[in-house]
Amino acid sequence: MREITPRKPLHFFILGIALLYIAVLLLAPIVTIVQKALANGFQPVIASLSEPNVIHALQVTFVMTLGAVLLNTVFGIIIAWVLTRQRFRGRRFLNILVDIPFVFSPVIAGYSLIVLFGRDGWFTPTVFPIVFALPGILLAKTFVSLPFVTREVGPVLATLDTEPEAAAYTMGASQWLTFRRIILPNIWPGIMYGVVLTLARALGEFGAVAVVGGGIEGQTETATMFVFRALNDRNNVGAYSMSLLLGVTAIVVLIVMRLLRRSIVREQTAYVNHT
Amino acid sequence: MSITLDKITKSYGKQIIVNDVSLEIKTGELFVLLGASGSGKSTLLRLIAGLLPADNGRVSLDGRDVTDLPPQERNTGFVFQNYSLFRQMTTAQNIGFGLDIRKQPRALVDKRVNELLQLIGLDGLGDRMPWQLSGGQQQRVALARALAYQPSVLLLDEPFGALDVKIRAQLRQNLREIQKALNVTTILVTHDQDEAFELADRIGIIEGGKLLEVGTPNTLYRRPQTRFAATFLGAANLIPGQRNGTHVYLGKTSLVAPPQTDHLSGQPVELLIRPEEVELALKREDLQGQLVGRGIVQQVGFAGPFERVVVRLDDHNFEPIQVLLSPEKVRSLAIEINSPVWVGLRDYHLLPANCP
Repeated sequence: MREITPRKPLHFFILGIALLYIAVLLLAPIVTIVQKALANGFQPVIASLSEPNVIHALQVTFVMTLGAVLLNTVFGIIIAWVLTRQRFRGRRFLNILVDIPFVFSPVIAGYSLIVLFGRDGWFTPTVFPIVFALPGILLAKTFVSLPFVTREVGPVLATLDTEPEAAAYTMGASQWLTFRRIILPNIWPGIMYGVVLTLARALGEFGAVAVVGGGIEGQTETATMFVFRALNDRNNVGAYSMSLLLGVTAIVVLIVMRLLRRSIVREQTAYVNHT
Repeated sequence: MSITLDKITKSYGKQIIVNDVSLEIKTGELFVLLGASGSGKSTLLRLIAGLLPADNGRVSLDGRDVTDLPPQERNTGFVFQNYSLFRQMTTAQNIGFGLDIRKQPRALVDKRVNELLQLIGLDGLGDRMPWQLSGGQQQRVALARALAYQPSVLLLDEPFGALDVKIRAQLRQNLREIQKALNVTTILVTHDQDEAFELADRIGIIEGGKLLEVGTPNTLYRRPQTRFAATFLGAANLIPGQRNGTHVYLGKTSLVAPPQTDHLSGQPVELLIRPEEVELALKREDLQGQLVGRGIVQQVGFAGPFERVVVRLDDHNFEPIQVLLSPEKVRSLAIEINSPVWVGLRDYHLLPANCP
């Protein structure tokens, strides 16, 4: 690829467009949030984040996100495995289905969960409620973040050399042991990358969670829903504080992602250079 | 018998990859499966290891029928062409893996790993990661890893295929020594006939999924039973003829029939002549072997330690005969293109005319 240092006016003009676009759409909101939240120092931020409702919303968000990450990691790996290692009728269809959360509006996803699990739904359990309750939030977060682990692990699995596995089998290693000791270490960076993306997506989800959970204050309200309500209530400090917290978390996630990506690339090049 | 294959067959769809192969390999033998790429040799090795299920037939290892056992329970050591080391483990961990999963005590594993590192000449490199080793070193680690848990058979799939010529020769020597020292029954798959000659106690030639012929390198080279084996195992002149009574008739020329070819009597045959068994002389009396006739030199070319000479026989319309001569011989006969020469044969062999 040919790279140049901008010299001509046209170069600077194009560079300017890119920078302006990013600055207005990405940088400005972040700066506003930081500036507004910290306008009166840290004290109000800490105070507003210590309110019982806020803490509860954070707990709900944290626990449900963790649940979604856990579910999607385990099942995401299984789906990736099936899609890359098994040949069966309908594999391509399954492959397309996995991407549905990418293209579905979260609101529609939330609504369909209500239809499925709400009153008189197909899968409505009799023991505990799902809709307008925490399990619904878990489901919604899981739904919207489902593809990431599968999509990150799949390509790694597909390009993985299967001969070391065969070698392990001849040495007497069971399939599970081989998966744990031989395959898992190789797909680990892919899993971690998928986990981080899943985390980011599940953490920030609003639409599906709002529809299924109902946003009941102190019960099914999540962090993003709190921001929404705080804005409606003109509780600006609360909204900005929570936004700041979510924003900082997101940026940490972004940094972790970059680091992981680098380690994946490094490992792949180290491997390729040697074969 | 350490390895017994009984009518093993494997197909993918309509394509038969391994076709009705039966074979017995003695304990401690180094058996080389020799074939071109796509001949089914690697598939056969995987069938023995249990990495692929056979469609038909039985596999026995050490007298134990393992046909229905998974690879884990067959106790084979397998070495792949691309080493297939576990790249997240050190050399020592790679070698110790088979013992580790057998829950052997740490001290014993360490001891065995060190013995093996010594055996393969990589003493002190146990802490290296696979990518820190050269290709030849990696392949030696793969061999040690496959031997660590004392498998009943060692299976090597083109183990030197990815290495350059010099290292290959060295590793062959190592392998031969280690294999004899441990007396482990071994099958090595290769497409390289030099490798087969150098290593094998016996060679099996496989083509189109069929095991065409089995024998010692010497027998297969000098007395093959099939045209394929004859031409696959080195350069061969094949001349059509007829065996009658005690002689073989090539047009007007007759030669004494080689021993043990009575069963071909009265049949059309092909005379197999290795280029190094052809003799050239300026005078008829100087020939020591059987006379074939006069000819004209068509080509003289350099072929490393030998000179390759091509001679067209007078009075015959056979393909020109390939001859290998020492440079000294070429000089003393003053052979050049269009030189007239007498052609004789030191050794030759007969094949039935329509054999595979």
